[in-house]
Amino acid sequence: MNNSLDRLIEGMVETLRREILPNLEGEFVRGQAYGVIYMLKSLQLRASWSPVFLLEQIARLQELAAATAELPAEAPRVKLPEVLPHDARELEALRDAGDAAVSALIGWLTAHEYPAGDAAVETYIHQQLKHELKTSAKPMFAEISLGKEQEA
Amino acid sequence: MSIAGRSVEPIDLYDEPGLVRRLNAYLAAALGRPVEIGGLKRFAVGFSWITYGFSIPAPGIAGATGLILRLGPALGLFAPYSAAPQYLSLKALEGHDVPAPRAYFWSDDAEILGAPFFISELVRGEAPIPWGPGSEMSDAFRQSLGQQFTDALGALHNIDWQRSGLAELAANVSVQNAALLQIEEWERNYHRWALKAYPMFDFALRWLRAHQPVAPRVSIIHGDYRLGNFLEVDGKITAILDWELVHLGDPHEDLAWFCLPQYRGGTKLMGKLIARDEFYARYEAKAGFAVSEVSMRFYEIFNLVKLAATHMAGVYAFERKGFYDMRMPAMGTQIAPVLRQIEKALEANA
Repeated sequence: MNNSLDRLIEGMVETLRREILPNLEGEFVRGQAYGVIYMLKSLQLRASWSPVFLLEQIARLQELAAATAELPAEAPRVKLPEVLPHDARELEALRDAGDAAVSALIGWLTAHEYPAGDAAVETYIHQQLKHELKTSAKPMFAEISLGKEQEA
Repeated sequence: MSIAGRSVEPIDLYDEPGLVRRLNAYLAAALGRPVEIGGLKRFAVGFSWITYGFSIPAPGIAGATGLILRLGPALGLFAPYSAAPQYLSLKALEGHDVPAPRAYFWSDDAEILGAPFFISELVRGEAPIPWGPGSEMSDAFRQSLGQQFTDALGALHNIDWQRSGLAELAANVSVQNAALLQIEEWERNYHRWALKAYPMFDFALRWLRAHQPVAPRVSIIHGDYRLGNFLEVDGKITAILDWELVHLGDPHEDLAWFCLPQYRGGTKLMGKLIARDEFYARYEAKAGFAVSEVSMRFYEIFNLVKLAATHMAGVYAFERKGFYDMRMPAMGTQIAPVLRQIEKALEANA
């Protein structure tokens, strides 16, 4: 996911309040919608992105750091602590700092010819995208556009 | 909001009675006669500009009594907006074989209606879409639409824009730098919208910079030329819509956008309308230059980069602008699939 969990939950609650509840009729159905809002707010207080998902991404960064260790000292580097934090937000920040370092490394490799560095970056990108796609839900854009359940 | 040292309350773009009052005042001043509009109705289309339809009594504007108002909200997907490119482009199309609404008024002064806006003719028709049930077309219907849409694209790319108001926005675009200017534009957008670095995106930008083609000519580029962005009545295209990404550039950009797999609706037809060979041959006959496969490959990757950045804009609008439309984070889920598509396209070009 690319949005923060906090903002996603806030957005879902706002959508239910502003767009869905005003168009729902019947006490029971409206009560159920408020039940969803309440549970979303409860989740917001305790939930975070899966550390398993983030640790998998950080493992790929560790592999890239090892594969590019021989690059000249001036090349941008992926830097990770020896001991990884447990907190999902800290893991997310590490992942994002790692990706920023990879982007800087791509810029450096544009001006310096190191085929092994390019190959390591390409492997990293491929594995990260594969991991992200494997952990994504089936898209529902036809339903979102048309407002109707589609056949599986 | 502050204008010239004054503090101005933002105008609610969804306050319909207020909008009617402001439109009446604006049109009365513009037309030099009292105006009372009627039938204001918001259309639930698009992710970006807010669209209203309304009518004015005869004699209307140049005979048109059904009108469209488009407003570019400060929180919109690609904000901040200017209405000038769309207005000037629609004016440049008049008198050419490109069906489009006639444009009448525009302003970027948010004090008038609350946001940059333009007013154009209301064109009747249905907009076939590339996906979902009910989007199936008969072969004859599809073929006819495909031929008309191709011909209109050739006609668009043939327009001598230098003799129109668009020349003011040319910013020294040339056949040599058309690709570079677009790479720079979308790289700036990436840095505006991305909430984190995406190494695949940077990798793709590097490839694009190293493979810039020279354009066969500099043309008006629609920027989102595909099924879903035109109206038809009884199989005849009545208007090509959604000009918000219009700019000057290499015609291959529109051709490659039309050919993106995203818009083929699960078929082998370009834009779900026409076979690639027929599309190229018909377009070449109309536009008067040969389609370059090298340029098509470049612009396929460029357009995927543009699409990935657009998805990032959805994430940004939801996360940072307080835009709560759930379509925005849903767009964000498509960043990774589009980046994977870019990876595959780069492998095919290696």
